[in-house]
Amino acid sequence: MPNAHRACDDFRTTSETRRRSFLDTPLSRRQVIGRGIGAGLAVYAAKAMPMMRILEAAEAQAAAAPNAPIIVAVFLPGGCDLLDSIVPMNQFGAYADLRPGLKVDQPVALGSTGLGLNPQLATGLNGGLKGLFEAGKVGLLPGIDYANPDLSHFHSRHFWETGLITPDQATGWLGRWLDRAGSPDNPLQGVSMDFGLSPVLRSGTAPVAAVSSPDDAQFWIPGLWGDAFDRTMETWSAISSPRPTAPGPAAAHSAARQAKNVADILAPYKKNDNGVDPLAGQVAYPEGDLGDRLKVLAGLLSLPLGIRAVTVEADGDFDTHDNQADDLGKGLAEAGGALASFQADLEARGAADRVITLVWSEFGRRPKQNDSGGTDHGAGGVAWVQGTRVAGGVLSDYPDLTKLDSEDNLAVTVDFRRVYASLLEQWLGTDATQVIPNAGSLGRLKLIA
Amino acid sequence: MARPSSRWTEAHVRRLFWRAGFGATSKEATHWAKQGKGATLAWIMSGGQGPTLVGPTPTVDGHTLDPTNEWGHDVLWWLDRMIRTQRPLVEKMTLFWHNHFATRDQDRPLMLRQNKMMRGRALGPFASLLKAVTTDPAMQLFLSLADSDKSSPNENYARELMELFTLGKGYSEHDVREAARALTGFKSSWSRSGDFGGVAYVADNHDPGMKKIFHHRGRFDWHDVVHLVTTHPNHAPFLVGELWSYFVTEPLDRGTRTRLVRTYRDSGLKIKPLVEAILTHPKLYADLSSPAMVKCPVVFVAGAMRSTHRFIDDDNWVWLLDSMGQFPFEPPSVAGWDWGPAWLSTNTIRARFTAVNYLVQKGELKVEDKSIPPELSVDDHLARALHATGQPWISSSTQGSLRAMVPRFFAGVKTTNTYLMQSRADMCQRALRHLLLSGPDAQLH
Repeated sequence: MPNAHRACDDFRTTSETRRRSFLDTPLSRRQVIGRGIGAGLAVYAAKAMPMMRILEAAEAQAAAAPNAPIIVAVFLPGGCDLLDSIVPMNQFGAYADLRPGLKVDQPVALGSTGLGLNPQLATGLNGGLKGLFEAGKVGLLPGIDYANPDLSHFHSRHFWETGLITPDQATGWLGRWLDRAGSPDNPLQGVSMDFGLSPVLRSGTAPVAAVSSPDDAQFWIPGLWGDAFDRTMETWSAISSPRPTAPGPAAAHSAARQAKNVADILAPYKKNDNGVDPLAGQVAYPEGDLGDRLKVLAGLLSLPLGIRAVTVEADGDFDTHDNQADDLGKGLAEAGGALASFQADLEARGAADRVITLVWSEFGRRPKQNDSGGTDHGAGGVAWVQGTRVAGGVLSDYPDLTKLDSEDNLAVTVDFRRVYASLLEQWLGTDATQVIPNAGSLGRLKLIA
Repeated sequence: MARPSSRWTEAHVRRLFWRAGFGATSKEATHWAKQGKGATLAWIMSGGQGPTLVGPTPTVDGHTLDPTNEWGHDVLWWLDRMIRTQRPLVEKMTLFWHNHFATRDQDRPLMLRQNKMMRGRALGPFASLLKAVTTDPAMQLFLSLADSDKSSPNENYARELMELFTLGKGYSEHDVREAARALTGFKSSWSRSGDFGGVAYVADNHDPGMKKIFHHRGRFDWHDVVHLVTTHPNHAPFLVGELWSYFVTEPLDRGTRTRLVRTYRDSGLKIKPLVEAILTHPKLYADLSSPAMVKCPVVFVAGAMRSTHRFIDDDNWVWLLDSMGQFPFEPPSVAGWDWGPAWLSTNTIRARFTAVNYLVQKGELKVEDKSIPPELSVDDHLARALHATGQPWISSSTQGSLRAMVPRFFAGVKTTNTYLMQSRADMCQRALRHLLLSGPDAQLH
């Protein structure tokens, strides 16, 4: 995409002297960051110097707690089917009766758990999700949902996003966590790897950001360079500075302010003029949007930017009312492959022990298949936690296929809010009652090894 | 405070044109302010006698558009209508229905056919629109209504019909399942080579049995379901709320809701009288000096192009709209897009900033080198930029910041350095035009 290049060229012509002064003198800590991830970055660090206060804030947060735990929430949109993803091999007869046309005939067995994976989840680096499970880096949560589930995508998604069973507007559960436990001045503490902010990270007071890649975050204007461009962006800051209270004007002004903050913070990590990506690691990712986003994310997580909570949305369509065998397989292959590469990448970068990934979807699907080669909305879905620090294994009971509820849906075996409360306390170190109402009554699961 | 609605100023015209359409040109604002409120509304509601589209035919690389076959040309084709239309309300309502009955992942010919259907019925009776939507091939394929048959009814359409299309609430899981049975019978056909051949109603595939929906019993079919949902007591308040928030940011108070529900029901569930009642409501004009509604991306782009006399002559708008978070014909889900403040994130506002780069590089907005007199006063700089950008609304605080910027462009430049003085004058005018179209004020209408 044609975006930052013009501004970069202009900058190089105006600050060559400054750039040289950086390259020729002993490196500061910030330049070491730049050098560590690719040559030429000092250029952009120099460019950003007038605004370095912001990067300093991000770094200060990272320096104060260099090993602070990070949570990455990956959303599989549409309501991912449990039965054909994590196959109940120990209930295969009942499964085959419910899914005569859809059933996965040759699931990949998960040791002695009685469960097997859709073979598409065994593709990807190091055996995909299966490889991660066998290495003890995945805790599966079959049957996850909440009592009396609402089968609307939008209600269920809203409940999962907010951590509240209410149709009312609310902040996201991780946004609320940052309000309680986050930084007042580092928008990179909460990042949606997307063009828009995920409702999961919608906060009351904590600054947060949406970032697709450091290059995409930059501003430029044709025919404006040097001091003139700087004056223009200073004026951008001035016209963004009012803080109106009405929601629309407030959003316009805060998005304008924060967009410039993000651009300033990420300026040192842009691709350099040879097109070399300073964030690139050694691990290959499968093609697809999810892989692309996780790849950029792995690079950012290995830097001291004070990132604590991240949301990523998978690309697949898990709302498989028809053609489930193909569509679900494709979605699982892309998601599982990208997540396997992400895990390997974090490990290669030495960042894996700080990161836990929660993979979730808004509900499960009806056990009995429909006549369109698909399944309708149901209860008792799929989620898992992955990372080097998680308790590996099957962490919740697999629903009994012979004991469906009155609506012919799976019985819910674990409330997603129990998982949230457990993550907040065992991983993020925050009293869950500050984030999830009535967290005390939800019980806990042991999610961390 | 709002001005008394008896006055009809350019600000009123601009507000109405933004909310009911895609903004007013300076010429339109002057003209309709003189004509008065009644004449302006009559034009907005029904349009003039002239052609629907005025201005140059859209092109990409010098060729006319091929919306059916070329990627993104469907988006350009519709964006062009928004820019050139002389029936802005019809396009704005087509956009409303596209979001309301959001359909995605379908072939272009089917999406274009659906778009045409919605445009034709945009302001007519709701029940007739809903029947057309229910039998629309793109919708039928999207929500699995095609090929839902009596042996295993697919609930997808029945559920969204109640939740998102007509009621919002006031129905049970049982109603959804029974309606799914009543909606069975549509069957799709495909050629051997896999081409879609249309949807037909096959009585044999329909479940003719008794159903119970909203406490009514009968051997209902799809016509009955459309009747049942449109006569459900929650339907009128639901649609009134959806339309109100599309046009007005102020909350809908109970008295207004009651009156609008009555207008809608008394008309026999026609859209036009309801929309007219909303567009004449004083609350639409309540905050003329501080607009509070966030422009959606297509309104942001179409409005900026309309007011600066720019037309489609390249395809950059396709990826730009995508990066702003609104790709027409591909809404994110059946619930459509998230509107209001949710349009704006750090990424999408930067994408809007980038979109303005593509506006200021061509046509009337482009500042050629050596075209701005170096001795131009602050007032003249700002006036020139406002004129070029179609006199957009800016707050007094923004005006102050822009005025303060002008002398800073020349700080430290010797007046004898004619090269630098000239280049700064050009760049200052470029900056002003850009910020007028990209700043926080430009996101609001």
